[in-house]
Amino acid sequence: MSDLLLADRITKSFGTNRVLRGVTIGIGRGEVVGLFGPNGSGKTTLANIITGLTRPDKGRILFEGKDVTGMSMDARFRAGIARTFQIPDPYPSLTVVESVRVALLCSEAGRKETEGKGPGFQENLDSLLVRTGLFAQRFWPAAKLSQGCLRRLEFARAISCRPKFILLDEVSSALSARDEAELVALMRSLHREEDISFLLISHNPLILEELCDRVVAIEDGRVFWEGKPGDLAKYVPTSHHAHGDEGGNHEGG
Amino acid sequence: MNPLAQVLVDGIFTGASYALMAAGLALILGVVKVVNLSHGAFFTLGAYVAYVLESRGLGNPLAAVLMAAVIAFAFGVFLCKSFINPVRSHPFSVAVGSLGFAILFEQAAQMLWGPHTLSIDLGAPVAVVDGVTLRRWGVISFLVSLGLLGGLSLLLSRPWGLPLKLIAEDEEIAGSVGMDVEKIRYLTFGAASSVAAIAGALLAPAATITPTMGRVPLILSLIVVIASGMEKVWNIFFLAVGLGLLSNVSAYLFAPHWSYVLLLAVICLLLVFRPKGLAAAGPARDY
Amino acid sequence: MKPPRFGKIPGVLVAGAGILLLLPLAGLDVFLLDVLTIGFLTAVYAGSWDIVGGLAGQISLGHALFFGTATYSCALLTSLLGWPFPLAAGAALLLSTAAGAAVGTLSAPLKGPFVALLTLALGEAAHEFFLGQTFFSPRGAYSWGGEGGIPVLLGIPWFSPWIAYYAALAFLLLCTWIMLRIARSETGLIWTALSGSELSARASGVDIRRHKRLAFVAAAALAGAAGVGFAACVGRATADDFSLELSFQAATFAAVGGRGTIVGPILAALLFYPLLQGTGIPPAGRVLLYALVLLFTLRFFPAGVAGTLRERARARRMAGRKGDGR
Repeated sequence: MSDLLLADRITKSFGTNRVLRGVTIGIGRGEVVGLFGPNGSGKTTLANIITGLTRPDKGRILFEGKDVTGMSMDARFRAGIARTFQIPDPYPSLTVVESVRVALLCSEAGRKETEGKGPGFQENLDSLLVRTGLFAQRFWPAAKLSQGCLRRLEFARAISCRPKFILLDEVSSALSARDEAELVALMRSLHREEDISFLLISHNPLILEELCDRVVAIEDGRVFWEGKPGDLAKYVPTSHHAHGDEGGNHEGG
Repeated sequence: MNPLAQVLVDGIFTGASYALMAAGLALILGVVKVVNLSHGAFFTLGAYVAYVLESRGLGNPLAAVLMAAVIAFAFGVFLCKSFINPVRSHPFSVAVGSLGFAILFEQAAQMLWGPHTLSIDLGAPVAVVDGVTLRRWGVISFLVSLGLLGGLSLLLSRPWGLPLKLIAEDEEIAGSVGMDVEKIRYLTFGAASSVAAIAGALLAPAATITPTMGRVPLILSLIVVIASGMEKVWNIFFLAVGLGLLSNVSAYLFAPHWSYVLLLAVICLLLVFRPKGLAAAGPARDY
Repeated sequence: MKPPRFGKIPGVLVAGAGILLLLPLAGLDVFLLDVLTIGFLTAVYAGSWDIVGGLAGQISLGHALFFGTATYSCALLTSLLGWPFPLAAGAALLLSTAAGAAVGTLSAPLKGPFVALLTLALGEAAHEFFLGQTFFSPRGAYSWGGEGGIPVLLGIPWFSPWIAYYAALAFLLLCTWIMLRIARSETGLIWTALSGSELSARASGVDIRRHKRLAFVAAAALAGAAGVGFAACVGRATADDFSLELSFQAATFAAVGGRGTIVGPILAALLFYPLLQGTGIPPAGRVLLYALVLLFTLRFFPAGVAGTLRERARARRMAGRKGDGR
């Protein structure tokens, strides 16, 4: 298969709680896939396993044909798997520009292009900030940003490694309509211009219908439906609409 | 005479009181959600209370226990109210501050009673079985510790203990159902501190009383708490007794200071080889 | 654009260095000279704590381990093995750096309070070990070690309090410069990031274990350097060099001065150490005062003095920039 990223038969339990029971999900190059499921369905755990925050009990993660299951989160970032968090956790004592700088310093792309941190690095940094609309606020402490700007900072951090794949965890939760529209536009432009693949995690079918090429729905740790986003509404039991947020970035028991 | 058997029996008596102290530390970790490095100071406080009473001619162990408990409770509530509770979301402030309080207490004790070791009367032997002497302090400390631990275990399994369990699980929910979370925190901290002081007062006759005597039981309690949890009171008991035996036997076989080194080695190994288990036993996940 | 966090060396520092340079000419007696000399070394030690504890956010409560490793190495190598002091000093630096690498490796997978526990236990274990460990001098039957200590043979006949004073001052200035360089470097920025949020740092490609280890190594090397200086100036290494009180002192200076500011802890040490040491308060009273000041600062100025000032300055800058925001 020509999947860019493949999560192959992932199993994970926390104690006696079997969160994932053999989930397989593939994302093609340049594809936008939605991951839909109610709270507690194992979405965030799957996200953590794909990005390397959590190790699966069984199953493997393939990225560009290579097995990256044993790779740490930071190594995966450098290899081109980036993510945003449902609840951004900004560095309390750094400014916006410094926060992005850290990610740029640590990504292979940033290193390579800027041997000897010449002007190339600074240009790169500035263009990241301009692109995500944070240039005007670049000297703000990251912790003082609004929710919308925090999400953009997450984007800036994520794209600084020139990723081939970005996982977006609940892009739109707790955002105003305007912020949401801006983020969606940003995501679209990234997809169009850089051919980045996305996995969008959400419990909101409307967002997924709007943005995705394909939607995978999981429940009780299993894939229970997969298909065109337009058909999602037919398959979704009404009780799954409009739930609150999931617990957070870490999946507990 | 059988010296090793004597050491083992004394180790069990000592361990029972250490269990009491460890249970207090576990309660603080569970309810107040801080790693309290000042817990050993309350143990020392209890021992000095026993010493002062004895030197005034009131050598009754139960009086010492009662007085140590009251003083330590007041101190504990004060410490929690004035310092621990306001800074509890900063791990640095909690760790360094609680250590700072312990050191403050150590230095104060040194200024009041001097750096040299003190001791109090061991008390008459209660019985001699097979050449093993059961002394008054040992029997009393074992019974008192067992009684208090049983009480704690009962409390946690009954409806009155529910607030503690609920706060340990989820503070927001506890707050939203109308519990005064802060007050329960103060009381828990005070009660846990007084329990540590009780352990100190109970063990004072068997110990050499010095300003830094609280460090050994602190490390021992930390080991127990890391390896066990808050609710399993009897796990705490058996672990503490085991470690009490280990420390007594090593002190007997090698030299007293080796029992401390051994405990420190145990806690290091535990931290290094079980970091995953800790995350589950530890306070909030967001550390 | 330079990161504005450690923008310039504060003028206070330059002025302070000038005063300290001229102070011995004003007719200080040898006692005060000694106190200030040790004060300079203590300041380096406090700054080294801030590298790992402030900048990288790894709460080390066993920092004396690195200091003591250096002083003990100096003493044992010169007195027991008869090495010349410079060689022993080099070896001592290497050993304390290695101790830093070991502690850093062990504590890298741990978080927050557990790093504090592990370093506390390691430091206490070292203290307890050296408290009981005695060494026999090569000539004569008397033993060294424990609280009595081991002599350090400097082998420099022209060494005097004045030379020690200026050497320690130069050493302080050099180390301050090095530490500020570290804080302003890319690595320093990454350490600040990981101390703020390990999760975000990992998601930004930061290899947090490697960086935590690195921070311990750098801090241990600097603490070791301070230990070598201490051994040279005092001429004796005792088990107290490993004590919890000494570890605690470093954290206290950092907390009072302002964690992560480098300059704050150094200034706090420069101010407090001579003040308490030079006024004849008994040792127990000194540590008691440290603890009181610490508790007070943590409670009411959690960012420390320099940290609070920096926050104010930043708030002012923010207010000034409000116009071009949003």
